[in-house]
Amino acid sequence: MAALTKRFKLAGLLNAVGPFFGLLLVLGLFSLSSEVRPYLFTGGNFKIILIQTVIVAIGALGMTMIIVSGGIDLSVGSVVALTSVLGATLLVKGYSTSVTIVLTLLAGGLIGMVNGLVIASFRMMPFIVTLGMMGVVRGVAKWLAGNQTVNNPPDAPLNNLMARVSPTELFPLPPGVWIAIGLAVVVSLIIRQTIFGRYIFAIGSNEATARLCGVRVPLQKVMIYSLAGLLFGLAGLMQLSRLTQGDPTVAVGLELDIIAAVVIGGASLSGGTGSILGSMIGALIMAVLRNGSNQMGWQNFTQEIIIGIVIVLAVGLDIWRQSRTKD
Amino acid sequence: MKSLVRFGLALALIVFAGCGKKSDGKTYTVAVIPKGTTHEFWKSIHAGAVKAQQELAAKGVQLEVIWKGPLREDDRDQQIQVVENFTSRKVSGIVLAPLDSQALVNPVASAVQAGIPVIVMDSGLKSDKYVSFVATDNFKGGQLAGEYMAKLLNGKGNVILLRYAVGSASTEEREKGFLDALSRTSPEIKLISGDQYAGATRETAYQASQNLLNRFGNEVNGVFCVNEPSTIAMTKALRDIGKGGGKVKMIGFDAGSQSVLDMKNGDVQALAVQNPMLMGYLSVTTMLKHLQGEKVENRIDTGVVLVTPENMEQTEIKDLLHPPLDKYLK
Repeated sequence: MAALTKRFKLAGLLNAVGPFFGLLLVLGLFSLSSEVRPYLFTGGNFKIILIQTVIVAIGALGMTMIIVSGGIDLSVGSVVALTSVLGATLLVKGYSTSVTIVLTLLAGGLIGMVNGLVIASFRMMPFIVTLGMMGVVRGVAKWLAGNQTVNNPPDAPLNNLMARVSPTELFPLPPGVWIAIGLAVVVSLIIRQTIFGRYIFAIGSNEATARLCGVRVPLQKVMIYSLAGLLFGLAGLMQLSRLTQGDPTVAVGLELDIIAAVVIGGASLSGGTGSILGSMIGALIMAVLRNGSNQMGWQNFTQEIIIGIVIVLAVGLDIWRQSRTKD
Repeated sequence: MKSLVRFGLALALIVFAGCGKKSDGKTYTVAVIPKGTTHEFWKSIHAGAVKAQQELAAKGVQLEVIWKGPLREDDRDQQIQVVENFTSRKVSGIVLAPLDSQALVNPVASAVQAGIPVIVMDSGLKSDKYVSFVATDNFKGGQLAGEYMAKLLNGKGNVILLRYAVGSASTEEREKGFLDALSRTSPEIKLISGDQYAGATRETAYQASQNLLNRFGNEVNGVFCVNEPSTIAMTKALRDIGKGGGKVKMIGFDAGSQSVLDMKNGDVQALAVQNPMLMGYLSVTTMLKHLQGEKVENRIDTGVVLVTPENMEQTEIKDLLHPPLDKYLK
């Protein structure tokens, strides 16, 4: 009996520590190169890694909720593109910063709501629905932008959300990074401490049982996708600030980066498990991989191969972990 | 007294001259960031950069060229990431072909602020923080194409302009030059399509070409494409509908080996050819000059030539059409 408890404790520890271990491993790997080490562990470089993680991290906040509930959303990249174009267009037309932010977030939330409604009402697979939405939203983005990029007015305050001041120092971090960190805390609390959060896990673990327990599954699903959509809209605003323009061709394939981050962080694609902390670390791991590969001067295809291997390893590790706790 | 002063001056001159040319045993690392890495145009620039590196090595200057493009060839955010990561890497200098004249402004400003000089190549940037702009006179290239098109069509007919992408300053200049030349020399030539974009790959360009020819295939007399993949794709699309061989006058840009072959076969009537090897070469050598404290030109024109079947066998033209890539890129 004592041995069983001990094994559970170990597995639990591994679960929590797992993603951290991965991050340390990746950092350690790159620090082996004497060429890169002096540049990797500088404040300026960490600042860059953090900034480059923001968009994927904010997207991963929404995606974690969706994946834990057993769904998936492939339209993230397109939503980021559309909201960046929408934000830029509003700024150019002279709307104030706050109005632009609100409308852009609402647009993301609206698209999420449509996703959720179609998935919940017609009982369609989220993969299919969001796959279709991916094309629709991308097309709307290109139409809205007139098939070109929309440049922000040069003095727009939104340009500073992701701007890098004092590039060689870690601080000050741009507001975008603080917003991402703050939101990670908030969403983590929502998932773990609220009833809504409990419902997410319930629906992900066993949707039928959740329904039988009285959870209004369709309503919850709509709420989950809508909330995630708001977050995707925010990611679009961050992208807008980073490029200082709205770009309908940006973020192609972003959904895969986000899903990879969530999976590396320990979430299971079949739902029921996942954590915000894990997803954030997953996002950081990918950014460190990219940053390190860049600095080592590796070819781009090396990077792609490595990221692919990391994803498979992470999922394999996750499956192994799960099978052990089930003993 | 006079001779002493003269001697003193001469000594001072020698010492200072020696200071300037002394090899300080430093290793320079220059990051060269193209828009993409697969088209032959970029490979030629790479070859030019490597050529510069080898020549400098022979002179005893340790300069390392790191060649890295964005993972996806038209992704602005990824090119920004490459610039940022090299800024962190504290390379000695960055040579950049910006995917977008606006999106890369902030990353370049950050790099300069961190003490890393930036040379912009091939395509312009809406900034004044760079050391030098090494590029083709793209407006002139477009003009040469436009004037030749007018000549081929004898001043009248229907013309299609297939653009590349918004924000790509180099190709936008070519498009402007082409339209400028047409409106100046032949107001009777009608532009039946000038608002379609080919996109970054041969595949997207092929689809755009097919769609255009689907609509205008029977009306068009001449087509101008502004870069390598779109030229190759449009030529193929023209052949597909039986309008190759000069039935529709095709003028393109850049000397991709497929395009040169197409010109030999008569499917392409003229190519506006840049000198990408020179661009890569001059970017690196100019960066070194700047790093060693010399003053450099703010705008360096690497030249553009209109190559036609008539002049393509001339020696200088041949070098432009078949740059010795294998010699420098293993």
